[in-house]
Amino acid sequence: MMPLAIAVPADVAELRAAIVSSMNPVRFLAGGTDMLIAGRALPEAGLLIDITRVADMAFISTDGSDICIGAATTVATVASHPGLRARLPALCNAAAQCGSVQIRNRATIGGNIANAAPAADLMPVLTVAGALLRLIGRDGMQSEILLGDYTPAHGLITDVILPGAGLLRRSAFVKLGPREDLAISRLNLALLADFQNGCFGAVRIAAGALSHAPLILSFAEAALSGRKLEAAVLRDFLSTLAAEVDAAIPGRNSQLYKRRAIAGLGLDLIAQALGLSPRDRLFEEAVE
Amino acid sequence: MNQISCRVPLIDGVEKVTGALRFTADMNLDGLLHCGLLFSPRAHARVAYVNAHAALAVEGVRAVFWHENTPAHHYNSSIWFAGQDALKDERMFAPVARHIGDRVAAVVADTEEIARHAARLIAVEYVDLPPIFAPEAALTHAGHALREDDIPTFRNPVADEVFIHGNPEAGFAAADLIVEARITTPRSHHCAIETHACIARPEPDGRILVLSPCQSVFAVQAVVAQALNLPQEKIRVMKTPIGGSFGGKAEPILDPLCAFFALTLRRPVVIRYNRHETFTATRTRSSVTGRMRIGLSSDGRILARDTETLVDVGAYCTGGNYLPSSMLQRLVRLYDVPAERYRGRAVYTNTTPSGAFRGYGSPQIHTVAEITLDIAARRLRMDPVILRLRNLVGPGAIEPLQGLDVGNARGRDCLMRGAAAFDWSARWQIGTGAGRWRRGVGVAAATHINGCYPGFHEETTATLRLLPRGRAELVCALHDLGCGADTTLAQIAGETLGLRACDIVIVPADTDTCPYDLGTRASRMTYICGEAIRRAGTVLAAAIRTAAGLELNAEAGDLRLAAGAACRPDGSGLTLAELAGRLFARGADLPAATETYRAQANPGSYAAHFAEVEVDTLTGRVRVTDYLAVHDVGRAINPMLVEGQIHGGIQIGVGYALYEDVAIDPLTGRMRGDSFSRYTLANASVMPPMRVLLIEEGEPTGPFGAKAVGEIATIPVAAAVVNAVNNALGTELTHLPVTPERVLAAMNL
Repeated sequence: MMPLAIAVPADVAELRAAIVSSMNPVRFLAGGTDMLIAGRALPEAGLLIDITRVADMAFISTDGSDICIGAATTVATVASHPGLRARLPALCNAAAQCGSVQIRNRATIGGNIANAAPAADLMPVLTVAGALLRLIGRDGMQSEILLGDYTPAHGLITDVILPGAGLLRRSAFVKLGPREDLAISRLNLALLADFQNGCFGAVRIAAGALSHAPLILSFAEAALSGRKLEAAVLRDFLSTLAAEVDAAIPGRNSQLYKRRAIAGLGLDLIAQALGLSPRDRLFEEAVE
Repeated sequence: MNQISCRVPLIDGVEKVTGALRFTADMNLDGLLHCGLLFSPRAHARVAYVNAHAALAVEGVRAVFWHENTPAHHYNSSIWFAGQDALKDERMFAPVARHIGDRVAAVVADTEEIARHAARLIAVEYVDLPPIFAPEAALTHAGHALREDDIPTFRNPVADEVFIHGNPEAGFAAADLIVEARITTPRSHHCAIETHACIARPEPDGRILVLSPCQSVFAVQAVVAQALNLPQEKIRVMKTPIGGSFGGKAEPILDPLCAFFALTLRRPVVIRYNRHETFTATRTRSSVTGRMRIGLSSDGRILARDTETLVDVGAYCTGGNYLPSSMLQRLVRLYDVPAERYRGRAVYTNTTPSGAFRGYGSPQIHTVAEITLDIAARRLRMDPVILRLRNLVGPGAIEPLQGLDVGNARGRDCLMRGAAAFDWSARWQIGTGAGRWRRGVGVAAATHINGCYPGFHEETTATLRLLPRGRAELVCALHDLGCGADTTLAQIAGETLGLRACDIVIVPADTDTCPYDLGTRASRMTYICGEAIRRAGTVLAAAIRTAAGLELNAEAGDLRLAAGAACRPDGSGLTLAELAGRLFARGADLPAATETYRAQANPGSYAAHFAEVEVDTLTGRVRVTDYLAVHDVGRAINPMLVEGQIHGGIQIGVGYALYEDVAIDPLTGRMRGDSFSRYTLANASVMPPMRVLLIEEGEPTGPFGAKAVGEIATIPVAAAVVNAVNNALGTELTHLPVTPERVLAAMNL
């Protein structure tokens, strides 16, 4: 096999040409926070395309109906973008808790999706937001695919689209790691919800680190949808969360712990989404 | 006093923060060759066949080494002087791999990339042998550790220490309450920023020079000599700047290999471990299982104590056979216990070897003792501060093991002043609160040694010499590990000579130019080396005054050394630079003084730590929300550095209590916490607000009254934090680290 070739396209046209031109395996390098970690084997053959110089791949657009994020946008930029925070604060919160400052400054949203570990922090939020990915395939053709259907074999992610119709007014992201920050999630939760006059409307909830990909917690969603915010409803919600863990990881060593801990995370999730303190009386009542 | 009790910045601080300081891995010698090691993927296996052909065929590879072409001498990497009696069970490369990460082979090549690539091409056939991972199971692999011909058998125990003082049976019989607890402490890793590295270079005279970021150049010399079976004088060792150690670099692990490769290939060689290798193939703190039984009277007086410890030393003994006795030595110095029984055993397992780590057994044994004592306080419904005060030793107490005077022991002051500053009596209460988040407070006391007295070689020699420009040179085989020992000792020298710390030029430790010293261990730098330097400084100061008196036509006794000058009472005089210049111009010798200080005491340093925690009873997460550390340091030579040591000690201790464990898999022997993504340290955002209160009542045998703080700073932390968690929840958590899972399990949730 030929030794590793490097391409550094300057724009999307060059990028597409580089992808199409290679008969060998193609890998993509953006922030490099997965590929360049010491101890991991680097590709020794094929084509490595550095996408960090491609114009117009790092942007966040929140002015239109849909939110569109260029795949080379750093996680730090996602964390601090005011327009994004106004419409989907959960994604900013997830990004702000992803890795370290140095990692966030290098890592990209595209890389977080393409290399997603079960514990990837952005994934549950993107899942509940119904994210679509715009791709360039090996044939150079552009396509769109649902986040949940994506595998790296589909090609290079160029844009992450969050359809406006799927965005709800409230959102939240919480995680539980071995320490408070700079930690890989042992469990994380993302929520999108409508909430008016003390009642939940539509609710979407996904959990990370319970499966290889984010898990939609439909029973937990049902426990809140259309229900009033009160202790009894929260108790039902916590019961369903525990049941969701039981169903997801039966018999696993972490099951006992996670089925309890998800209650704490679940209350934190609701509190964050509604702008409340998890120490409010209501939440204490839910676990008494 | 111009230097003592002053917050003098690190004398090498600017070089460090500007990146000017060159660490071992930064050094590039002419013709330097590089290494890549192959480590065992098996926990216990005979290395049946090593095929190095493919590796040797790689361009740039100079040699491949394994057990068949390297010295077969057994050695012990923990010795610190030649001829020291220690169990010799290590080899550079052994025919049997004893843990995952044990060295199997090494490639030496023109670059590290080539060496590491070629190392992956070495084919090894292993024949698996039955491994032992649990220390309790290891006890059944019983027998003498050495055969009659001194070949190691790796049978257990490697140490079995028994001590009985007074009449424990009578003490327990008289007790109103007997408390028993089983405590386990984790294997933690040093996590120094600098990973392990070493350079060796053949010298023109046939000797070998070892450049090592070490804790004792003489220990490196002794170990390399033993491993290579060479006379000591054939080996010169120089200490290089060190990027943290905490005991992890106390043992020369890479140095024997590096020296042998360089001697064999007649080229300088560097070995640099990466982070994964530093985790899996160096040393950890030993894990300890402690069973403690305490008999108390109803008013809280300890009547008898019975302790059993089981120490997992890992695959090689190193200094592990000292650990049971070290733990005993520290245990008996804290409380006045009239009847004591102790048995400590150390055993081999097929896991990464343990070794020195800040406190050397003290964090383990004080964690065992202080958590058990807190359980006793709870069952007596007694304030744990009062219980401790009722039993703490005081100044001049004689400890029962070695009959040593503990000196001006101020543990009571630590507790009483700490309790007041922490507002303990208002914050401590029996019974848990309600709700999701529970608060609790905890206290723990501790003591630690000051040097190795009455052990071997607890002495050091310091030479101070006036330099031509009026500064002073200090030769004392010093090994600053990054925490500021050089600065502290320069302050002591400067104080005696009327100079600033930055006027003291410290000669790096070098076996060729420095007199023997034990190195940085056993909390001895300030107390032992500092006293030698103070004495040398005092003698040099007298010599300078005499020389200056001749120049000034004044009585030497009337002169005072201050601000870099010898001054008459009226303030007139001459600077030391002028004095040195005049002497130098005349061809006269510049004043110098050499003093050897042999320790005559081993006083205790004491501490009391107070922690407040908040526990999330749903997730099991613990947050330390407030912290006070009170330390009996005798006298703080540099309060800023003392506080820095304590802050760092708290960080290690919080990790020990809540997060840190290399987590050896009980089925495979694989280390799960083998990287910073899998090994959790307490980082800045989880650290509590920290207050430090120093008790400075002076230790008569210490330099300017000073005692040690380096190791004791981390010793009481874990127990204080765990006791606070138990106070918050009404639990009796005894297995460390107190992870969220363990918190919830203890609450029966």
